[in-house]
Amino acid sequence: MGVNFTVSNKDTVKSSDVLFLAVKPPIIPFILDEVGPDIEERHIVVSCAAGVTISSIEKKLSAFCPAPKVIRCMTNTPVIVREGATVYATGTHADVEDGKLLEQLMASVGFCTEVEEDLIDAVTGLSGSGPAYAFTALDALADGGVKMGLPRRLAVRLGAQALLGAAKMLLESEQHPGQLKDNVCSPGGATIHALHFLESGGFRSLLINAVEASCIRTRQLQHLADKEKISPAAIKKTLLDKVKLESPSLSVASASKVSLFNSKNPRSKKD
Amino acid sequence: MTGSPTALANSFPLYSAPDPSLRRFSLPLQKMGVNFTVSNKDTVKSSDVLFLAVKPPIIPFILDEVGPDIEERHIVVSCAAGVTISSIEKKLSAFCPAPKVIRCMTNTPVIVREGATVYATGTHADVEDGKLLEQLMASVGFCTEVEEDLIDAVTGLSGSGPAYAFTALDALADGGVKMGLPRRLAVRLGAQALLGAAKMLLESEQHPGQLKDNVCSPGGATIHALHFLESGGFRSLLINAVEASCIRTRWLQHLADKEKISPAAIKKTLLDKVKLESPSLSVASASKVSLFNSKNPRSKKD
Repeated sequence: MGVNFTVSNKDTVKSSDVLFLAVKPPIIPFILDEVGPDIEERHIVVSCAAGVTISSIEKKLSAFCPAPKVIRCMTNTPVIVREGATVYATGTHADVEDGKLLEQLMASVGFCTEVEEDLIDAVTGLSGSGPAYAFTALDALADGGVKMGLPRRLAVRLGAQALLGAAKMLLESEQHPGQLKDNVCSPGGATIHALHFLESGGFRSLLINAVEASCIRTRQLQHLADKEKISPAAIKKTLLDKVKLESPSLSVASASKVSLFNSKNPRSKKD
Repeated sequence: MTGSPTALANSFPLYSAPDPSLRRFSLPLQKMGVNFTVSNKDTVKSSDVLFLAVKPPIIPFILDEVGPDIEERHIVVSCAAGVTISSIEKKLSAFCPAPKVIRCMTNTPVIVREGATVYATGTHADVEDGKLLEQLMASVGFCTEVEEDLIDAVTGLSGSGPAYAFTALDALADGGVKMGLPRRLAVRLGAQALLGAAKMLLESEQHPGQLKDNVCSPGGATIHALHFLESGGFRSLLINAVEASCIRTRWLQHLADKEKISPAAIKKTLLDKVKLESPSLSVASASKVSLFNSKNPRSKKD
């Protein structure tokens, strides 16, 4: 597919212009220390790590580079079927063109738009975690179909197709979702009977709770990460650690996963 | 519409809607290659596949109206929820010895070509007749054949399913707005997330539970959110919904079956039919034998 593979983060940095940091949030500081010295003016550092702020990345990189270009983004797993939802916020030294470059890249695998950084945790709660809500719903819908007599495979297929079609209708319509819902509820019909059960059980409220909980947890993790300020003594310690990391005898695999956006490894990008 | 699959590309559907106020649709339809008429009889005479896209109580009247013109080549496709193949065959047998009937259940996302359709073939419909319908409906989404006794369950799941999704999307957007997102962005992101997840499931061999696990990092935001869904019985609400829609469909089907037409009533219905053909009587919905009109989803739902 035209993707080159290397085990050296330094090589990656030297031969790239856009660096996607696709590691777990606690690892970000170590990666930045490792690649920091090789960052040049042309580099755009893109962090997909949930809860890691632009300012924290800029602060770390400023030890190595006067005006590091940083972009923070939040995406989701359906990028692997090219129907992802991505937002990004540009840092202090990133130009408009840098943002547009990232947008062009991410728009090739789904929806992508720029936002203010303070919205990113809410986006995490909605479209970042959203696929999990959908998989849970799809499992339950299939259970409902099976309860009423459908074979499992067919039930899974029909449920997923119904959700996909409805989502597409909403994306392509100017109408309110409530209006679209009204349009499929005939008087006294099957659908309005079903909807009553959803409403009685507080279906909508559960989803609002979910979005809120994910957002709040993201803010909490971000807060925990911010508190871990690196003192000058610790910086020196981290540099020593970096030397150890470059030693092949030390296997800290996850710490060296600075890589281009790897669609085969969704886990490494999530919070 | 011709019956031969190879000629489909060259044939144009004929849409019949006797209500003159619907003529404003005729120009946009004609641009799509759809011809428009106000006469159900004309529709039957120049077509091979007839889609009955009317409300379930109207089906018997339509069958009485077009029955005399049904020939051996015709395939009668009913999209009416709860109307059984046997009830249609019974009505048509007064006019035709071996009427070809197919029953189908679809859903509104056909209008964005991502529908979910199932069909069951009647006593006299051949395999090729079913395949013809499948080819037609597969052009607007997923389509597969099922046994007729599964159709009410399909109604509960994918027939009503879009309504569950629209409700969920409204709520997800509310959640996003509560946490600070502008409404338009919240609606967009919620819909994109559902679309992407559904597509992942369709293209994956994995269990939805496995896909859910894959996006829940230890101690992360997503698993915190999922706990709220589970605490509130989220899954159970959806099972309830599918069940309720299915049960209601069976009930409506039962009510429709009970209304057996006695010979005296058949004569009465024929008299009514004569009245219906009179332009002075405006019973617009009763004459809506038409091809599958993607611009008018309401007429096809239960």
